[in-house]
Amino acid sequence: MQRIPVSSKKPVGIIIAVLCVGAATAFGIHVSHEDSAHPSSDSGIIDAEVVHIASVVGGRLKALNVSVNQRVHKGDALYQIDPEPYELTLRQAKANLDLANAEVENQTRLLSVKTSNAATAGDQVSRAQTNRDLAARTVERLQPLAGKSYIPWQQYDQARVALHDAEISLAQSRIQSTAATTAIGDLKSSIAARDASQAAYDRIRYELRQTTVIAPADGYVTSLRVKVGEVLAPSQSLFTLIADNEWYAMANIREGDLEAVGVGDCVTVHSMIDRNTPIRGHVQSIGWGVLSMDSSGIARSLPLVPRQMDWVHVAQRFPVRIRLEKANPLLLRLGATATVEVRHGAACP
Amino acid sequence: MRPARLRSCISGPAFLLTGGCTLRGAPAFPIMGAYFPGWMACALIGVATAVGLRVLFLLTGLDALLSFRLFTYVALGVIAALTVWTLVFGP
Repeated sequence: MQRIPVSSKKPVGIIIAVLCVGAATAFGIHVSHEDSAHPSSDSGIIDAEVVHIASVVGGRLKALNVSVNQRVHKGDALYQIDPEPYELTLRQAKANLDLANAEVENQTRLLSVKTSNAATAGDQVSRAQTNRDLAARTVERLQPLAGKSYIPWQQYDQARVALHDAEISLAQSRIQSTAATTAIGDLKSSIAARDASQAAYDRIRYELRQTTVIAPADGYVTSLRVKVGEVLAPSQSLFTLIADNEWYAMANIREGDLEAVGVGDCVTVHSMIDRNTPIRGHVQSIGWGVLSMDSSGIARSLPLVPRQMDWVHVAQRFPVRIRLEKANPLLLRLGATATVEVRHGAACP
Repeated sequence: MRPARLRSCISGPAFLLTGGCTLRGAPAFPIMGAYFPGWMACALIGVATAVGLRVLFLLTGLDALLSFRLFTYVALGVIAALTVWTLVFGP
């Protein structure tokens, strides 16, 4: 049997070895560059937006129209809270509003009465003025006659007293007229009270409408574990709705590869629910911040700096959000594992 | 540029292990409920290629011409693995 030496110094063999090692090194560098220029991640997840469904009013759950994992459409009535307390409050508010309206009408009538009174008082002033003028002319006429004793002094004296009376009557009627005009007032306070009642009524009507909860978007019902009869506090979430109109993939890309990721770049996403069906997507945004253990600490306190001597630092990764185009709904489940290939892959020719 | 037609033609023992010619899908392979990255399959193919070439060269006598056999076979395995990666996963 022929022995093959481990390393025979044949020139052909050395040339082949050098060629192979050189080719492998060059190819390795090339592939490394390609990999950096076309980042990918196999730890992405399928993501969607969620709505925590709650009503702004509280009460007993009266009707529940959905079951868990059910698909609902925007505008569907999801559940209803017992509306009776709100209906009663609405009746109360309606009665208050009617009362305020009646008060406005009442005040309107009073206002017209007071306006008439003020007009009467004005007429009284002009009558007192006429009387006073007459008395003054009488005194003027009698004064020369009384001076020459053509008439009794008594008659002239009576005329002067009458003038004095008429002046006092005029002053009094002027004061009365001013008071009657001031007393007319206006409808401001009753109108303000009516507006307050109207606002209270509208608010209760809004609350009554909120006892029926409407689906804000197309989606899937999740985390629903209660039945009719549950008492809910205001704004207490009953279940979570996964919005179905937009789906996303979130992939963490190392910071060194981020410069190769641009907003709008084509992305191939594979949901691992079916790893043979590519989903086309586009980079929508790149996260601007992640919480780092090296910068943690309470605000306003001193920085928390661990003592360490690390020579090798693992690259930070930032979440890249990819908006998916229309895909088979069976592949899209929130939290599913996804592989993400930026600017290459089956969906990006 | 990627030669897509080549991808469906590649076959070998490692491909059978990972579920036949399904490499056109995601660059990760489910094995017993865990996802293994594509480059790991490429590395296995590289090792298998190096061993296979060693056996082939021994049978055909080409092995006698070589020196620095360890480096040569490792380099050939690396080239095979990188070729598969470029064809299957590369941009």
